Amino acid sequence: MLKLAFQYMRYYKSQTMAIFFSIFLTAALLSSIGSLMYSSQLNETENNRKIYGDWHYALPLNPQVLKSIKKEYKEQGFSLEQYGVKEMRGKITFPYEITFVWGDNSYLKMTDRELVKGSYPANPGEIAADKFTLSNLGYKGEPGEMITLEGRNYTLTGILKSPWAMDFDQMEIFVSKNFKSADSISTLYVKFREKGKLYQQLYAFLDCCKISGNEVENNDKVTKYLGGEEPESLYHILKFALTDEKGNFTYIVLKLQAEYNLAFYGMVLLLCVFSLCVIYSIFQISVSKRISQYGIMETLGIGGSALGGTLLAELWMLFLLGYPSGCFIGNGILKLFYRNLAGVFTNLSPSPKAGDVFFTEVFSPKADIETPQFHTAYPVMFTGFLFLFFAIFLIGVFTLHSLKKQPPRQAMAGDPSVLKGRRKIYSKRNRNLAGVVVRKFMFSNRKKVTGILLSLSMGGCIFLCTTYMVENLKIHAEMSLKSDDGLGSPYQIFLKSNLPGDTIPEETVEKIRELPQLARIHATKYIPSELTIKKPELEWEEYFDEQNKDSYFRERYGGICVGRGNDYGIKYNVYGYDSSLISQLKDFLLEGEISEKDFEKGNKIIAVANQDGQGNFNFYGKHPGDTILLKVPKKLDDGEILKFNNPQEDYLEMEFELAAIVSRPLAQENRFFNVNGWKNHPSLILSNPQMETLFHITDYSFMDIEPVLGADDTFSDALLQAIRDVPRAVLKDYRKAIQTRKNYLGQQQLFFTGIAVIFLAISLFHIMNSVNHSILSHRREYGIIRAMGITDSGFYRMVLGAGISYGIFTDVFIFLLYHIFLRRFMDYYMAHVLKFLHFTASVPMGILGMVFVLNLFVSLIAVMIPAGKILKAGVIENL
Amino acid sequence: MHILELRHVEKIYGEKENQVKALRDVSLKVSPGEFIAIVGTSGSGKSTLLNLIGGLDVPTSGTIWVKGKEIGSLKRKSLTIFRRRNIGFVFQNYSLMPVLNVYDNVALPVTFDSGNHVNHGYIEELLKELGIWNKRKKYPQELSGGQQQRAAIARALVNKPAILLADEPTGNLDSVTTVEVMGLLKTSCKKYNQTILMVTHNEGIAQICDRIIHIEDGRIVKENHSERKSSDAEEGGDFKC
Repeated sequence: MLKLAFQYMRYYKSQTMAIFFSIFLTAALLSSIGSLMYSSQLNETENNRKIYGDWHYALPLNPQVLKSIKKEYKEQGFSLEQYGVKEMRGKITFPYEITFVWGDNSYLKMTDRELVKGSYPANPGEIAADKFTLSNLGYKGEPGEMITLEGRNYTLTGILKSPWAMDFDQMEIFVSKNFKSADSISTLYVKFREKGKLYQQLYAFLDCCKISGNEVENNDKVTKYLGGEEPESLYHILKFALTDEKGNFTYIVLKLQAEYNLAFYGMVLLLCVFSLCVIYSIFQISVSKRISQYGIMETLGIGGSALGGTLLAELWMLFLLGYPSGCFIGNGILKLFYRNLAGVFTNLSPSPKAGDVFFTEVFSPKADIETPQFHTAYPVMFTGFLFLFFAIFLIGVFTLHSLKKQPPRQAMAGDPSVLKGRRKIYSKRNRNLAGVVVRKFMFSNRKKVTGILLSLSMGGCIFLCTTYMVENLKIHAEMSLKSDDGLGSPYQIFLKSNLPGDTIPEETVEKIRELPQLARIHATKYIPSELTIKKPELEWEEYFDEQNKDSYFRERYGGICVGRGNDYGIKYNVYGYDSSLISQLKDFLLEGEISEKDFEKGNKIIAVANQDGQGNFNFYGKHPGDTILLKVPKKLDDGEILKFNNPQEDYLEMEFELAAIVSRPLAQENRFFNVNGWKNHPSLILSNPQMETLFHITDYSFMDIEPVLGADDTFSDALLQAIRDVPRAVLKDYRKAIQTRKNYLGQQQLFFTGIAVIFLAISLFHIMNSVNHSILSHRREYGIIRAMGITDSGFYRMVLGAGISYGIFTDVFIFLLYHIFLRRFMDYYMAHVLKFLHFTASVPMGILGMVFVLNLFVSLIAVMIPAGKILKAGVIENL
Repeated sequence: MHILELRHVEKIYGEKENQVKALRDVSLKVSPGEFIAIVGTSGSGKSTLLNLIGGLDVPTSGTIWVKGKEIGSLKRKSLTIFRRRNIGFVFQNYSLMPVLNVYDNVALPVTFDSGNHVNHGYIEELLKELGIWNKRKKYPQELSGGQQQRAAIARALVNKPAILLADEPTGNLDSVTTVEVMGLLKTSCKKYNQTILMVTHNEGIAQICDRIIHIEDGRIVKENHSERKSSDAEEGGDFKC
């Protein structure tokens, strides 16, 4: 059996090579993409350890638990690698909210806050802190320095590492174990051995220590790919999607993404299926060439199992050679270029407002992720191996089954297609019978031809879909950079203050406007407000309930969405943009019209719609032309006014007409409502003149600044000089962050386009093989036609007709598949799963045309090669 | 004047030690309207001879003249057109296009000639003459061997070729059908004044022809005129297959 399979492989060299290369290429593609995604996940986890700390779970601690942990440290269904304790020992609120903290060595190590200078406080009057906190408090940060906090003096004994991500409302001062405070909250930080699902170890740990799991905090950025949370069962997901009013297909997709990492496994599965289709298709061609021989073998009494064994032996031999070598080469090439592709699947966006914020001592955002390491995705390779190994077995069984369906005599006769058509005499109307012959060869077996055309169009479709996504990704990324990430400008001046009354005076803005290297400046006014919404209009109760639970919002603003009689009062950011920024909002327009003139005066307002988890936009069911009721404080002299509980006379209540609804704001205030996890808080947009006329706001809250191309560092120096006299004003330099983000985008575009091109190349290779086979399988018939007296040029014309038909039909298939199904699917995917801000950019006509012309060209080349072979051989040989 | 003349034709396949001399110094003259049988054992070179005459293959040496033209001197395209217009082929395995019905199979060679219109009247006449008019819409695989061979003969005759080359046209047929097909060929030969060269290894069938050429080891070893008259075959004949 093995010998026969080997002989077949040797005899049908070109087909053997085709199968081998299809396995090789798909293995290379599968393993390299798998490794790229896997490496990105591991690198993301490693980087998140630096940002969020190297711990998995944090839970409230009581001394008994600590004792039992020591006792039960050994394996009880979990393997505790490290644990640390942190105790909060009170806090101060002025000039910033600063928490006093005691942490043991393990805690300091796990959170990457070890001492860099001096010693840890040993007495109640001693403290240690990081440079960021100290510089914000106005101290040099040298051990021995006296620090005064809320009137009490402390001796600074040590300097700790600054946290990677920290905002000025999360400052901590470290104190000694015997530091006295009225209240003390202890938290235990645990890290388990990262083998197996972490949540299983957590449950075992909680069970063992008899701790309730209710208040466990998950360091989900770190545990995301380590099984930090027990995934919801598929049954429950499906049940909810099918039975609940809110359940739908998008819910299933998003849930699978969140719970089961659908993007990763989906990609692996898609690649496996693509690989399988190509291998199956090429193998079918190979088998069809020797159906007659199998018929003879069967006639000679060789049983089905022996035949199947031969088929499988051949495929498995090629698979065992092609798959490992493909994985080896694919991973090898990727490893070489990995540094240039590390940002493709990274979720670590260097944005100033995402969870990973970059405030450091010098207030220059840290933009780069750590040096990326390449990791080979052995699990993906192994899964792909198993999948294809068994799939090949099924291919063998299926092929054998289809062979068995034909009696040996029919099999011996060759291609079993029954070539019948309508009983029509073509020569009576059609002069070109050669063309009729070609068409009949192609379409006599419709099922077969549909299969061929489908498989031929697969690569083109994948290429078009990828290009479509890349085109929209480009625009989405640009829009997202400007809005969600706030990276629309290289420089931003903002106020490092929690006091609502702090502003940047108009004269400072004017000073900056006069800087010689300035290209543009958007100075934005800001006022916190409360939007009144009728209770039945609010569909987002659960979301606001969740937001209201946040102690930050509860304490500062009395909650984000507060019931007021029959209404809800929802805290809203109200921005005053300049006319240029208002004009730029047109890119984000969902409904209505934006005309800068409408906002020079009057009460027209632009609302930013709420976007739900499934990418749907809604503004409480309101549309342009409707009115909204807004409440703003008359004076911003203290924080209490932002709770909107003061007497009515402290507030202005005004009605506004909705001019437009947009998907995102542009410049955003990073204080007040837009903090921590609650970024992109709901916003309303007016113009600067409106802010002045309606609310008497003359000064600004922040500025986005862009210098002219080639501006040097003197520009940032000039900006610093301009804001020197503005209390708490800070200049942030996002140049590197923007560059990094653009690099990531460039890498993503390059990668996806590269992958699409590889898919297209595999597909074109497949087209060549299929068409070549299709022509050569009718070699004898073409021999008859030649014997009947067709000239060489006539013959070429005839097969060119076949090539053009293949090309055109493939193009039509691609066009229909793409426009009727795939594009709609992509629109859905981009809108609801990826939640793109923009998904209407079409594939450029040039690329569409190129794909169509390429298919046609390849089909023509594909028919010309076998045609040349046929003509090179004598007529007699073909007969 | 001879319609066909072969002068010292040789055909060698392969090279060096693998050389096979399929034809050796074959010379032959054929007059218009002759019905010639080429007889010999398997591998004697009779099919090679037919293929060379039909321009489907080229001789290693020697010349072949058809209607006064040396076909070896013709360019590939000219040869193809010349062959299409002057030579008809009938193969043992019929070689019909499986995707075309009988009518279109017959019409196929005519459609290769861009200036030539399909003479539907002539096709109808041929098919009626050959007794397969009622099968004109059938596909080859729906016909019996005899019917397929009739269709192949009709196709060979459709361009009214001067020479009809038939390679074992009855090789796959039973005796009754063989008689019918031979009768048709003979009739055609007479009716259209065609020259027919037919390869067969069956001496009995050869007897119906005007001349029998015996080939052995690539040489013409014997040439003799048949005693039978063509009318014998037309009348049903009693030759043995």
